[in-house]
Amino acid sequence: MLHWLAQAENAKPLGLLIFFITFCAIVLWVYGSKKRGERLEEHKNIPFLDDEDASKDKSHG
Amino acid sequence: MAATSNPATEQYNFDIVRKFAIMTLFWGVVGMFVGVYIASELAWPFLNFDSPYFSFGRFRPVHTGGVIFGFGGSALFATSYYVVQRTCQTRLFAPGLATFTFWGWQAVIVLAALSYVMGYSQGKEYAEMEWPIDLLIEVVWVAYLIVFVGTLMNRKQPHIYVANWFYLSFILATALLHTFNNIAIPVGLFTLKSYSLFAGPQDAMTQWWYGHNAVGFFLTAAFLGMMYYFVPKHAGRPVYSYRLSIVHFWALSFMYMWVGTHHLHWTAIPDWTSTLAATFSIMLLLPSWGGMINGIMTLSGAWDKLRTDPVMRFMIVALSFYGMSTFEGPLMSLKDVNALSHYTDWTVGHVHSGALGWVAMISFGSLYHMIPRLWNTQLYSERLVNAHFWLATIGVLLYITAMWISGIMQGLMWRAFDDFGNLQYSFVESVAAMHPFYAMRAIGGMFFLTGMIIMAYNCFMTIRQAQRAEQAAPAVAVASA
Amino acid sequence: MFKFKHESLETNAGLLLVLTMLAISVGGLVEIAPLFMIDSTMEKVDGVRPYSPLEQRGRDIYTREGCYTCHSQMIRPFRDEQLRYGHYSLASESKYDHPFQWGSKRTGPDLARVGGKYSNEWHVQHLIKPTSVVPESVMPNYPWLQSTPLDYSDIGDRMRALRTTGVPYSANAEEYKANVEKFGEAVAKTLHIPDAQKNLIAQAQEGNYDSDRTSVSEMDALVAYLQVLGTMVDFRQYKPEDLVKYR
Repeated sequence: MLHWLAQAENAKPLGLLIFFITFCAIVLWVYGSKKRGERLEEHKNIPFLDDEDASKDKSHG
Repeated sequence: MAATSNPATEQYNFDIVRKFAIMTLFWGVVGMFVGVYIASELAWPFLNFDSPYFSFGRFRPVHTGGVIFGFGGSALFATSYYVVQRTCQTRLFAPGLATFTFWGWQAVIVLAALSYVMGYSQGKEYAEMEWPIDLLIEVVWVAYLIVFVGTLMNRKQPHIYVANWFYLSFILATALLHTFNNIAIPVGLFTLKSYSLFAGPQDAMTQWWYGHNAVGFFLTAAFLGMMYYFVPKHAGRPVYSYRLSIVHFWALSFMYMWVGTHHLHWTAIPDWTSTLAATFSIMLLLPSWGGMINGIMTLSGAWDKLRTDPVMRFMIVALSFYGMSTFEGPLMSLKDVNALSHYTDWTVGHVHSGALGWVAMISFGSLYHMIPRLWNTQLYSERLVNAHFWLATIGVLLYITAMWISGIMQGLMWRAFDDFGNLQYSFVESVAAMHPFYAMRAIGGMFFLTGMIIMAYNCFMTIRQAQRAEQAAPAVAVASA
Repeated sequence: MFKFKHESLETNAGLLLVLTMLAISVGGLVEIAPLFMIDSTMEKVDGVRPYSPLEQRGRDIYTREGCYTCHSQMIRPFRDEQLRYGHYSLASESKYDHPFQWGSKRTGPDLARVGGKYSNEWHVQHLIKPTSVVPESVMPNYPWLQSTPLDYSDIGDRMRALRTTGVPYSANAEEYKANVEKFGEAVAKTLHIPDAQKNLIAQAQEGNYDSDRTSVSEMDALVAYLQVLGTMVDFRQYKPEDLVKYR
């Protein structure tokens, strides 16, 4: 096992493996729970919290 | 309309943002002018004027440095200082240090340009600055990190908005890349000349690890930060999916660093590093398109804005070009495609569809949104914004079409054989065949530059109008409050 | 950390910073680090030596003028490139190149093996006015190279800096002896830092690159560099299979 890790040319499958596991973990974590999802989605309103010009935006056109 | 008693112009430190915004416009005009000039040198070589100072080889880094670090860098400083304050609802940390980043960064751009023209270059693309300038960048960058993270720490809002994550990863990655790619031994304490510590293949790997991630973090991640604030804000609707932005962020930050070696396909490096880079380049398509979709879908249900609002149009076209060039990039990183495209104008076209189409367009959109708010006024002319939009779009299209044709033509001419198995074309025949496309590219650049000049004029008039209103109307402001 | 919550990240700038740093560091380490530790990326071939003082000054001019913005120095292993430019480039051929100049664009042709292909007179004419020998060329004229005397006053400093990066220029008798064993006496002499100026002038006089023996010009240095490019390895000594296993 350790020997296999030490071979430079094995970096490709190793990298893929590390990446794939991490990616799956993130996706599962983000989309796994509905409650968490709702909480996360709330944050999208942050740019509008300091608004003095929300109404101004609509004045275009 | 309802002016609050505590307008954003007083609540936040906008002075530093204004300075950087103005310099963005300045370096945009200068950097793009030099770009048009060197493009013209290739089409009409007499423009080199037998002068060391204006010859293509010395002038080209003036262009790349001017647009990447001058225009792009100033745009990033301006927007990151703006976004981090507004999304954290706090004033900028260490304003003195922030002012230092302004003067320090401008000094870097000026000194770099002068040193290139004088013939000082490290000889590594996009990292031509010699060691004293590199050290100055290092200091400015640490100051930037302190200001940015300090502001994050002081925030009134418990959550750190996703745009700031992208800005943070850009600051960190740039520090890392810049430091390792510029390790060099100076010839002496009082000379600018130095030699890279690394040689040959190692130097190549380090350089393209830097070179591609300058694109990945400086010209992509950071501008995505810009996108995640300004697109929702200007559309007046929150980003399409916050969860998607989280996946987008981590996947992008993790994967970009793996792909630099695709600039070195078929060269004297071990084959596996280049295959690895190609694999990750293909995978990178997913987070890239995730980000693009997230940006474009933010507008879903408000598509009519595209008809009426030229600023919104800049943002959407920027996202479209982002999607286009992040598709083209993985394609070109395939080893068989790269065998044809590498060393040709196709690469140059690809860079510019990203740099003009994505980076510059999203910056234009963001600046048009931000500048009126910084000076508490309205844009001087929406018609000029519209004119700018069309000039820029036509300019990019001319540019990349010219480079696609010339690039693929070069690649095919170089590898063409006649019936006897001899090379069909001499190299110089391929050079001669490029002329019309080089001319077309220069003209595309002129369109884009004209748009940039119009923007500078429009912003100048906007600011002047704001200053006049301020002088004329202190009494009115008091009355309405 | 076991009960991981993304909020702890979203609400903690320090942690966000550390994890981001981690995410961006992995790729670079995997790609670059092995190259610094493994000898196996370099072919074992004879003949590759550090540049002589004059050639190195020529190389400095090459980087100063930004030649790499239009010329590559990296021949890929394709039939057309082999026919046009010569044997594909080896990693070891640029092992003394600080910085590497492989380039990324061929507005002009590859120069990795331009050495010996054209005469000195051709190079001089071509550099002064490229269209005088290649009418379709879009290369700038470089007339100032011929008229500017080469500043070789700091050649010793330059070689010492390169020695710090690992180029085997010799600063003392011991290193000189090692070089004699490694490269032979004739080459070792040109790598000796205390004699750098003398060697530089001697090579310029003897080579007479710019057809003007009265002074050492920048043209002398640049042409000396161009004429050595790609000529160090004698490829008749090697079979393709000796080299290909390093890819």
